Amino acid sequence: MCPLGLLQAQDIPGDIDDFDFDNVSFGDDMFAQPQSNTPAWLEPFTFKLSQQLFAQVNQHAVTRADGSSGNRSAILENNRFSLLTRYQSPFAPGWLLQASAQAKVYWPGDYEYRANDDRIDTEFRLNEFFVQRSTTEHSLKIGAQTVVWGENIGNSVLDVINTSEFRDLTIIDIEDARLNQWLLVWDRFVGNYQMSSFVNLYPEFNPPPVRGSPFFFEPAFNLTDYHRDKALFEIGTQLRWSFAGSDVSIMGAYLYENQLFYSAPPSGAGDALSEANDYLLLGVSANRAIGMLLLNLDVAYSHDILANVLVMPTNPNEAPYLATETMNKLGATLGFEYAIDNDQSIMFGIAAEGKLSPGSHLASNAVMLEDEVTGNALLRYSNNMRNGDVQLAMTLQSALDAGSVLGSVSLNYTLSNNLAVMGQVIATSAKKDSALAVLDEDLRMGMTLSWTF
Amino acid sequence: MKNSFYRCLSGGTLLCVLLTVSSSVFAQMNAREILEKVEDAQRTTTDSAFNRIQLSSCQFGVRDSQITCAERPRVKALESVGVNFGPQNKDTRSVSVVLEPPAEKGIGMLSVTYDDSDQDNETWLYLSALGTVKRIASGNSDDDSEPASIFGSEFTTEDQDTGKLDEYTLTIVEETTESGRDIWKIESIPNEERARKSRYARTVQYIDKERFVLLRADMYDQHDREVKRLIASRVELIDDVWVARSLTMMNLVSNRLSNMAILEIHTGIDVPEDFLSQRTLTDVAFRETELQKLREQID
Repeated sequence: MCPLGLLQAQDIPGDIDDFDFDNVSFGDDMFAQPQSNTPAWLEPFTFKLSQQLFAQVNQHAVTRADGSSGNRSAILENNRFSLLTRYQSPFAPGWLLQASAQAKVYWPGDYEYRANDDRIDTEFRLNEFFVQRSTTEHSLKIGAQTVVWGENIGNSVLDVINTSEFRDLTIIDIEDARLNQWLLVWDRFVGNYQMSSFVNLYPEFNPPPVRGSPFFFEPAFNLTDYHRDKALFEIGTQLRWSFAGSDVSIMGAYLYENQLFYSAPPSGAGDALSEANDYLLLGVSANRAIGMLLLNLDVAYSHDILANVLVMPTNPNEAPYLATETMNKLGATLGFEYAIDNDQSIMFGIAAEGKLSPGSHLASNAVMLEDEVTGNALLRYSNNMRNGDVQLAMTLQSALDAGSVLGSVSLNYTLSNNLAVMGQVIATSAKKDSALAVLDEDLRMGMTLSWTF
Repeated sequence: MKNSFYRCLSGGTLLCVLLTVSSSVFAQMNAREILEKVEDAQRTTTDSAFNRIQLSSCQFGVRDSQITCAERPRVKALESVGVNFGPQNKDTRSVSVVLEPPAEKGIGMLSVTYDDSDQDNETWLYLSALGTVKRIASGNSDDDSEPASIFGSEFTTEDQDTGKLDEYTLTIVEETTESGRDIWKIESIPNEERARKSRYARTVQYIDKERFVLLRADMYDQHDREVKRLIASRVELIDDVWVARSLTMMNLVSNRLSNMAILEIHTGIDVPEDFLSQRTLTDVAFRETELQKLREQID
């Protein structure tokens, strides 16, 4: 048989309709369990090899933030090969060691290749790496891992524990953009209740855009890692319980905002000053299943978050300058998922966050630089076809003010037990004053071929 | 029954009476009683049970007068633990974890299915990419939605369903033999309400008289065209229950088949209540420890 599992047409005769199914017999070893030649030490590993090609294909005029105009040419953006390795081993009763890492090679045509002075570039990243000890009522996990809060997938106001990196438009889902952090997580299980607490002794922050990527912009000053002049920590806890048709969680945490705040260096040149802001988060999330409909709600109250403001000095001879003010913020994500049938589902979520009484926190000569209310809407449609071999997903994301819109269609085709190919088309539109204005009128197309074993 | 009675007259009277009575009892069993016995046996395979299943699906063809896969089968291996609970033990709570293929390894599902159609079934899914357990909007397969495919195979939830005998007209069509076994051929025709939800307008089931196990089922659509055929083989006695360890569902319309091979089946084990929980989907250390304890019960 063809090793790629492709159909051998010659094995299906034209007279199958005349076959006597009443006297059917099956070929020998037709359903024999595949013999595994994998050595025992390799069993805990899973490997995924991927080759990705992605290009911006719409040549169009662009207007830059400074008002100048130019052309965006059709260009190959991603041409990369990656090896994702996953290891999971319950090596002793009640113990687990889990790790995953990714190695990438950036070939000619990839923006990383261009950013590396037209040389092949490589990258290695450790994702997960933790040890877990579990007993009847407790579980302790220490190492690089993720903690996900919130019921809404993709735009929950509570999904703030881990940092994220949307490096380019091949990653548009938060679940693929989340970065692992070094955490100690303790879970306590009692009946239908689960209490989960974490400590992070080395909080990290969203990395700046990678040079050459579609999101990259030339900053006025170098954006460097946060300079730690004191020990930082994060801590949080969540209580979750389930009853008929619903799961409910309440949570609280002391966190640092994932995004650093940058300001100009006093000298006016060199590295930007970065500011990390700590705040308190209180939240609640819940879902309710009603037939084929699932309702999701996440609510988050953030105390003492930072907002960017523009200060007008009282001295008219001085120029306005950027600063930050602490405020309180209330956010909510309301969503639903509907199972159209057993193969199709539709998911919609709308997230909004607003500063509470911003005026009361502002000095008389300061104005907010950000919108008081921000948010986004996310719509996803998915369809499993051909017994799950073909998966269609359509996504539409938009800022609440429609300042930027992203539409994506992807088709994943599983060719065999190991081989899959995914094609994707992504279109973006953004207003000139939007943070994503650089992506306006872009159309990206690409494919990823992967072999998992 | 009459012939066996006369043959017995040459022997002891009491034995003849007993044999005649017992055969007359079976002869007097109606279709519903027969299928109830079959379903009772089927339910025991999900009650306090630990199973390892392999689902193989492929396009099929004919070679040398034998059905064979025309392509390399798509194989899915699962491990599942379940218990029955509720009124008459007709509700089921189970955890399934995917072992193969590699791309889906580790995907876990917790399901609670209720026999009462007024209660919604509940399903939670764990994908490592999600990072958390996710309740799934799936509704009740007993409602107006079509039966769901089981892990992408030709088997559907309707094929595995039990406890709906009241919704069918059941008739013993014939008593004959199938694969060398004495069987009842029982025809099931859904009532109006069930017909709206079912893919089959008529089903003919071949029930082994001695072992009360389904050997074959022919499923017909509303045009009385046979659309699917189920063939059971490797019938074995496991924990005092006859179980077919190989089930092959052939879709005669799409020429695709799926084989469900029960690689391991252990019933009557003591499953801790906290094992069938969301924790089992995410806490691999806990899951493997508890599975090892279940395996020790078996040993």
